[in-house]
Amino acid sequence: MRHQIAKAFLITAVIGITPLSAMAEWPERPVTIVVPSGAGGGTDQTGRMLAERLQARFGQPFNVVNQGQGGGVVGISSIKNANPDGYTLGVIFNFAHYATMGQSDVHVEDFTPIAQYNFDPAGFQVRSDSEWENIDQALEAIKDAPDDYVIACGGGCGGSWPMAAATMMNEYGVDVSQVRFISGQGAAAALQDLAAGGVDVVPSSLPEAGPLIESGRIKALAVMGKERLEAFPDVPTLQESTDMELELGAWRGLIAPAGLPDDIVAELENAMNEIVHDDEWRQQMQDRGFGVQWRDSEAFNEFMLDQQSSVRAIIETLGLASGNS
Amino acid sequence: MVIDAFMMLMTPTTLGVMVACAIYGLVVGAIPGFSAAMAVALMVPVSYFLDPVPALAGVVTLCAMAIFSGDIPGALLRIPGTPASAAYVDESYKMTCSGNAGLALGTGLICSSIGGIFGSIALILAAPTLGDLALQFSSVEYFWLACLGLTAAIGVSQGSAAKGVISLCIGLLIACVGLDPVSGQSRFTFETSYLSGGLGFIPVLIGLFAMSEVFRFALAPGDSDRPPISKLNGLFRGVFGEIRRLWFQILQGCGIGTLVGAIPGAGADIASYIAYAATKKQSPHPERFGTGIVDGVASASASNNASVGGALVPATVFGIPGDSLTAVIIGVLYMKGLNPGPTVFLTQGTLITAVFLAFLLANLLILPFGIVAIRLFRHILAVPRSVLMPLIVGACIIGSFAVENTVYAVVTMLIAGLIGFYMEENGFPLAPAILGVVLAPIVEENFLNTLVKSNGDLMIFLSRPLAVGLAMITLAIWVVPPLIRLVHYMKARKPTA
Repeated sequence: MRHQIAKAFLITAVIGITPLSAMAEWPERPVTIVVPSGAGGGTDQTGRMLAERLQARFGQPFNVVNQGQGGGVVGISSIKNANPDGYTLGVIFNFAHYATMGQSDVHVEDFTPIAQYNFDPAGFQVRSDSEWENIDQALEAIKDAPDDYVIACGGGCGGSWPMAAATMMNEYGVDVSQVRFISGQGAAAALQDLAAGGVDVVPSSLPEAGPLIESGRIKALAVMGKERLEAFPDVPTLQESTDMELELGAWRGLIAPAGLPDDIVAELENAMNEIVHDDEWRQQMQDRGFGVQWRDSEAFNEFMLDQQSSVRAIIETLGLASGNS
Repeated sequence: MVIDAFMMLMTPTTLGVMVACAIYGLVVGAIPGFSAAMAVALMVPVSYFLDPVPALAGVVTLCAMAIFSGDIPGALLRIPGTPASAAYVDESYKMTCSGNAGLALGTGLICSSIGGIFGSIALILAAPTLGDLALQFSSVEYFWLACLGLTAAIGVSQGSAAKGVISLCIGLLIACVGLDPVSGQSRFTFETSYLSGGLGFIPVLIGLFAMSEVFRFALAPGDSDRPPISKLNGLFRGVFGEIRRLWFQILQGCGIGTLVGAIPGAGADIASYIAYAATKKQSPHPERFGTGIVDGVASASASNNASVGGALVPATVFGIPGDSLTAVIIGVLYMKGLNPGPTVFLTQGTLITAVFLAFLLANLLILPFGIVAIRLFRHILAVPRSVLMPLIVGACIIGSFAVENTVYAVVTMLIAGLIGFYMEENGFPLAPAILGVVLAPIVEENFLNTLVKSNGDLMIFLSRPLAVGLAMITLAIWVVPPLIRLVHYMKARKPTA
């Protein structure tokens, strides 16, 4: 009996069901932010920085709950299945691949976008002793013999970094279905494997690769953003060295389950607008190596839908799509 | 520079934060299911308000204390406080039952401190060199290291080797649930997204060790062997003699811990399994392991504390986290402007030295704080089991929920408890199962990824010097003992033939 009461209590706490449907003054009790990644990673860090600001603004605790199991599948599903009452929000990143790869049935339409706050352009990292001096040489070589090279995905192969690399190579005319992509335990582990000579290319954010670049083990051939990054002035953009005008990388935003009432969306969107444009917060993000990108609810929705179709198309091209989805 | 760094530590704020974190770490480490990584993650918001030195000194103190204090409930209740204590929990509990709790905890305490000091000195003197080791590890080397780890399963199981292997396989099977680490296909998930994340490691650990103990008590409240409390008064009686006798094993444990810790992805838990198994292998009387002798406890407690220092090497030199614990520490380093990398030693030399010295100091502080903690915790044995057991159930439920944030984790924990109970009842040791859960994903992922890299050519597993070395060690452990036995058998037969 005691267990059941405890369990019932816990269930209520997680899902955030409120018996009172009247929402006179949102938020009248603590809000949960589901972070679909483990404690300590980038998604968690940015999520906690947001939570702190939202809490100060709304005067209610915004509690971060980490659910990183299965590459975030568990957390993303629990955001989707939560009540759209404004008491469960979530941090989201590229998740378009999960449905196509048959891992979890989640789509942009399952969520109410609130705002995008982060974008980190992908870097294209190779070992320092690689014969490639620039991205053109690398892409030419891979185009000539796509099955000679191994690219580490960081996490799962549908994630932000491998998708960025694949999209870029596909655009260049590489037969990406021939390139070997291997999954792993995150970008840091992949970079280690690169330095150890296990793989040929690791796409990741430049700050993540920073320490190994600094120590002269690896080099970044290009960054897939509009302009060079302040902290890495020597790494050229994709457009400088090729004709490709692409902006690819990892992004993060705040979402809620589909059907969040418009007035709560507006309130959260305003709050996010202020936070993202606050100098102190931007400095905090920069100090920890995260890029800032603002998109309001509508623009974020379009961006995610756009991403969803392009990522799913490239997954088909790569041959990663699961048959039963 | 070292003196400057030392002066940075000797401020009231820094020392105060370290003491507070030490207490916090001891408490969290001693509660089953509250892992060290969680404790550090909870400290992150607090560290916003602290200066870099106190913040980082606090975090490293927390880690050192939590890993040690996981031994306490292990010895007193047979419930490991953190995964790092799982390898020798049986042994230290048997010691408690035979009235040697003081020896078990006293040795564990001193060896933890020795291990920690060894690890921190290695960190201070050899960080860049040890960092190079981490960059030698590709998926091929990881595969062989994990195979080497699997052989430790036999080392940590008492009685029948066959039962040890079956227990290991149960662990491997538990780890198969969830998304396949390479292709991302669902396995044994029954179409629920909760299982696609796999069965949580901490809930399985708590279930197997703690819940099974509760079930056993519930079914036979009378005859559960309650360890005598009186013997705990002589905390250090005989400890120093044992340490002098086991100096080589302890030193070896320190070495294993530092090296395994320095390899990202292999942490305190794997280090303590390997150290325990190595000690058993070299012992003249391996059959007495698991009956309550101090040998394995000494080397394994030294190695799990040494591994924390080792794990800080790739974290500070290359920004590569070895486990979830160091991942959080890297976050704090960035936050405090100590961006990890080789230049951190040049640009922020004093600051990073101060952090390393704080870690050394924390490992010295383990001694006084540990004694107080043991003296407080031993009263647990005086609590009637009918009161204690419901409290343990509560801690199990909260612990498994807190680590995964899903109710399914609680269900996982309860089911694991039933499995653990039946395994124990039928003489299957639990430690190999935990080892299986830890190593299965490493073996599988690295095996498959390596084959993808080589387009299916198995020779890649012997294509790198370090890999060949690890492979030879592993195969020697598998092949040589049966060969020796065969030779002995042949010799014994000769005269009669």
